[in-house]
Amino acid sequence: MTTQNPPDNRKILVCCGTGCQASGSMDVFLAFQNQLHPEPGVTVETYAKATGCNGWCEQGPLVKILPDDITYCRVQAKHVAEIIDKTIKQGELVKKLLYRDPVTKKQVRSHHEINFYKKQHKVALRHIGEIDPASLDDYLAYDGYKALGQAFAMSPADIIDEIERSGLRGRGGAGFPTGRKWRSCAVQEASEKYLVCNGDEGDPGAFMDRSIMEGDPHTVIEGMIIGSMAIGAHKGFIYVRDEYGLAVQNLGRAIQDARANGYLGEDIMGKGWAFDIEIVRGGGAFVCGEETALMNSIEGNAGEPRDKYVYPTEKGLWGKPTIINNVETWANIPVIILAGAEKFASIGSKNSKGTKVFSLVGKVVNTGLVEVPMGTTLREIIFDIGGGILKGKAFKAVQTGGPSGGCIPAELLDLEIDFDSLTEAGSMMGSGGLIVMDEHTCMVEVARYYLHFLAGESCGKCVPCREGIDRMLEILTRICEGHGKMEDLDLLEDLSETLKAASSCALGKTATNPVLSTLRYFRPEYISHIHEKRCAAGVCRSLTTFDIIPEICTGCGLCEKNCPVQAIRGEKKEPHTISQELCIRCGDCFNRCNFGAIKVV
Amino acid sequence: MKIIVDGKEIDAVLGETLLGAARRAGIHIPTLCYHESLEGQGRCRLCMVEVNEGGRKEVVASCTYPVKEGIEVTTSTPVIDKIRRNIIMLLYKRATGSPVMRQLFQEYGCPQNSLQENPEERCILCNICVRACEELGSSAISLIMRGTQKRVATPYDEAAAVCIGCGTCARVCPAGAIEMTEKEGIRVIWNKAFAMQACSRCGSYYASREEIAHLTARKPEYVIQSDLCEDCRKRMMAEKIAVFVSE
Repeated sequence: MTTQNPPDNRKILVCCGTGCQASGSMDVFLAFQNQLHPEPGVTVETYAKATGCNGWCEQGPLVKILPDDITYCRVQAKHVAEIIDKTIKQGELVKKLLYRDPVTKKQVRSHHEINFYKKQHKVALRHIGEIDPASLDDYLAYDGYKALGQAFAMSPADIIDEIERSGLRGRGGAGFPTGRKWRSCAVQEASEKYLVCNGDEGDPGAFMDRSIMEGDPHTVIEGMIIGSMAIGAHKGFIYVRDEYGLAVQNLGRAIQDARANGYLGEDIMGKGWAFDIEIVRGGGAFVCGEETALMNSIEGNAGEPRDKYVYPTEKGLWGKPTIINNVETWANIPVIILAGAEKFASIGSKNSKGTKVFSLVGKVVNTGLVEVPMGTTLREIIFDIGGGILKGKAFKAVQTGGPSGGCIPAELLDLEIDFDSLTEAGSMMGSGGLIVMDEHTCMVEVARYYLHFLAGESCGKCVPCREGIDRMLEILTRICEGHGKMEDLDLLEDLSETLKAASSCALGKTATNPVLSTLRYFRPEYISHIHEKRCAAGVCRSLTTFDIIPEICTGCGLCEKNCPVQAIRGEKKEPHTISQELCIRCGDCFNRCNFGAIKVV
Repeated sequence: MKIIVDGKEIDAVLGETLLGAARRAGIHIPTLCYHESLEGQGRCRLCMVEVNEGGRKEVVASCTYPVKEGIEVTTSTPVIDKIRRNIIMLLYKRATGSPVMRQLFQEYGCPQNSLQENPEERCILCNICVRACEELGSSAISLIMRGTQKRVATPYDEAAAVCIGCGTCARVCPAGAIEMTEKEGIRVIWNKAFAMQACSRCGSYYASREEIAHLTARKPEYVIQSDLCEDCRKRMMAEKIAVFVSE
């Protein structure tokens, strides 16, 4: 396997998203920079650039070589010399760094041939992994700010029309039609209007907005400038959660470069339009992702939501008309202007157009960021793109939409997911989290876990949310500890009704999803916790006893070696035993055993 | 504008809340976090009502909902009643130590259930004390933390430098949750002790010295004679008027 006629101009793209950086990709990038010297006799002109997140964090750090179209996985700095020597100079592949397809066992050269990427359709993430987020020139080379130029030839009404016809719905979770939101703000007469980009991505395990802000910051800026022209705002804010240091750094630099080159400021592109953007760093409260809480936070008040009987488009920041859209929504705007509403609307399902970025995490083989057309089935995402469940275990449920989303069971794997189908199934799109759970998951414990998260993150302003979540958590904890009663299930449903109807904001209104969806699809598990005092998944410690099946145990000693309390004993190659007195029911042996020799009694 | 509440047509003014309009017309909607001299907050959610706007029904908090022309409002439906019962139940379980909550729990006929009670707690986090303190210009207390950890406190739980010991917070608290003691001319509230001013006429203690100084500085026109208690001030005025009339 050699690459024929090594091209003269090579690009080495080193993924420097947060995931790859955590695995040492910055060292890889620096090694390339240090080791790429013009050498006598080598006519190849090569340069390396650090890009945003490629999404396939599982296999990082990723290095792509263009135009050869080679993708190397799990590259470390020590591999760099070999890559330069073999691939760059001689046009040969470094086989050990290629991805090996787990099914066909074949090595794959290009990421285009890898299942993880094959079924994806990149719109919001179109540049990420290709361009250098720190370079305005690189963005311009990829048609950057071209949509803005085009928007200057359009009237505000035309822009809104285009967005409305594209069918774009807000990617932050609620799925409100973006064009309609802009229109209702555009008609307001006010001395001042504001525009906000919501980058307070708070769902555990979600990182789609982060990747966009880190990997393609100019797209967000371009989208916002177009939005400002549509509604007549001269000031915008990007609210980024404080933990996203790299996003703040890359956005900050992009804003500076945009200002210096006339894309932000008093006279944008010489067309006389004034607009500027300020970054506001959030303090890390989950509830500040809620738009009215976010606006309170920008104003310097406590992050408590306001009742939305008057929409922010009428009375938002400092009481002025404001539109607030999520990062991913803004990233779609330049595409719609450039390619046209019809092109955009040709992707997706009947009422949800375009694509959606999901962060696919949990017990799935390929964790990472995936962007697919709306209407893709869960099965395609989890099994085709995600490569199925880890260790060949059975799929049990997928939790969608962040902590206040619901759990969707195996029967609904063929559900074509979009805003409406997920809501109907008792969950929600949310910002696009997909947490895959395998057969060793206790659904009652899952509901308890999410309510515990929400109890800590509720702002505590309104009674139904603050007190209601806390009480539902009390009940769920009781059930997990084996003290539940059947009437507790009625009380859970009764409280859920009040939370849904009376809570001030979406946090409280949707906090019941983890409970109601598990009650709907996994009720027998609740009942077995209550009646039989049994947790079949072996998760709830008070209800679980592990035992070794002597006929199956091979005496390999893996469980014994890893047991944190030395509760497992046995001779090599002889069946082992668990001391129930010492066992703390952590389940480590159960999850680790390669032979299925440990059972939940 | 006209709106209909429980079948009765009432007058409402653009910009006011539904609760305000209903109260003015003598229609009762229960509340716990509302105080007539403060803006509606939408915290307790006890004032939820059903609004029918051109056929579209919605359950809203009447203390923050701005009136709209032509809406029809129902202040009690099975859904609303259940919400209120659950709100009272939740607040009773949280603040079982509050006599007000114990009484409301009975009044609303809340069923007993297995949820734990909290006999030590009286605060229902209505935030009226905080808002009153803000309005009076001190901002000595505020809500701190979030979620179930939320509570009213002075900065770092220490005696607040800006607290003037006026005791308004304790007076407006609907749950009787704020401790204020007075003994031998010393008032103690929020971990801070205040020397009280004695009335120059009857000798009773009537306000903290800090409160009188605060009021004199902020609203001098209201402070006619600062060394008299409210009763003696009225008495003195009455005496002056009596002299004036007799002359």
